[in-house]
Amino acid sequence: MVNSGGQLFTIEGIAAALIMLATVFIIVNTTSVYTPGDTHINDMQLEVIGTDALKALNYPDNGTFGKSPLVILVENQDGSGFYTAFNNSLNNRTGENRDNIQFMANITYMNRTGMINSTPLNASRALYGGEHAVRVSQWIIVDSYNGAALPPYNIFPECLSAPSCAGKHAALVEVLLWRD
Amino acid sequence: MARLSDETAQWIVLMGFIVSFSLFFLAIMLNQSTVVGQTTAEAVSEFPKEDIRGVRNVVIQSMFIDQEGNFNNRSHVQSEIKNISLARQNAVVYFSDPVYDANGTFAYYFIHYNNGVSAYNETWTFP
Repeated sequence: MVNSGGQLFTIEGIAAALIMLATVFIIVNTTSVYTPGDTHINDMQLEVIGTDALKALNYPDNGTFGKSPLVILVENQDGSGFYTAFNNSLNNRTGENRDNIQFMANITYMNRTGMINSTPLNASRALYGGEHAVRVSQWIIVDSYNGAALPPYNIFPECLSAPSCAGKHAALVEVLLWRD
Repeated sequence: MARLSDETAQWIVLMGFIVSFSLFFLAIMLNQSTVVGQTTAEAVSEFPKEDIRGVRNVVIQSMFIDQEGNFNNRSHVQSEIKNISLARQNAVVYFSDPVYDANGTFAYYFIHYNNGVSAYNETWTFP
């Protein structure tokens, strides 16, 4: 037991240490890189569902020529109507159970001084900041002055006196979507 | 382990090295594959497919608005499209007035979209 036994044990020990290091390396790598590579699948699914729901709202009924339901809802500032229409197409599923996608919708527009402003349309739940939300958007062209309403009013808050921003405006309906 | 000859010890050491090196290379390959997967996923989610479609759609709509009203509706809506795209979608959007061909039959519209990562250019013909 004097000559080669010690060397053998030493070299075996080094080999074992290498194997253990390699194992730890593999384990640490697999667990940490797994998440960012895969979250995009959920995000993209939410994005597609939301975009489809908004796009479906932005077609005039039955191929008629005129304003789409989304434009009419925005022009009338009909937050609850938007909630019903959007929530149904977002969360209805085949069968009894509903999906649980939450949303918060804003309208972004340019005011008279050229600043970009947002005004809330409706939300199914308040956004607290911990949610992992995706953003979808839909362009609309609206008449900012709603003469049909009683009393007539401007749909954008900055245009205080009724006819002052009267005319057509481009606006962006932006919706944040998340699951809880 | 008490009575090992020198030759057996050499074999054990050699095998130990081979196994540990092969594990190491496997780990490197695994590492590379996840990086590749991540960059692909990022490229897919960063491409602004719906933004481009939306801008293209609203730009074409805006071409048919009459130039009337307090604000000159068409040019006003078009400047709003450019400004809102810049502010909310980080995209420079530019489009031209119609260019007509020699007979005046066709109108060409040039639509450009660029958000710094992806660029989209289109010549849209009407009718």
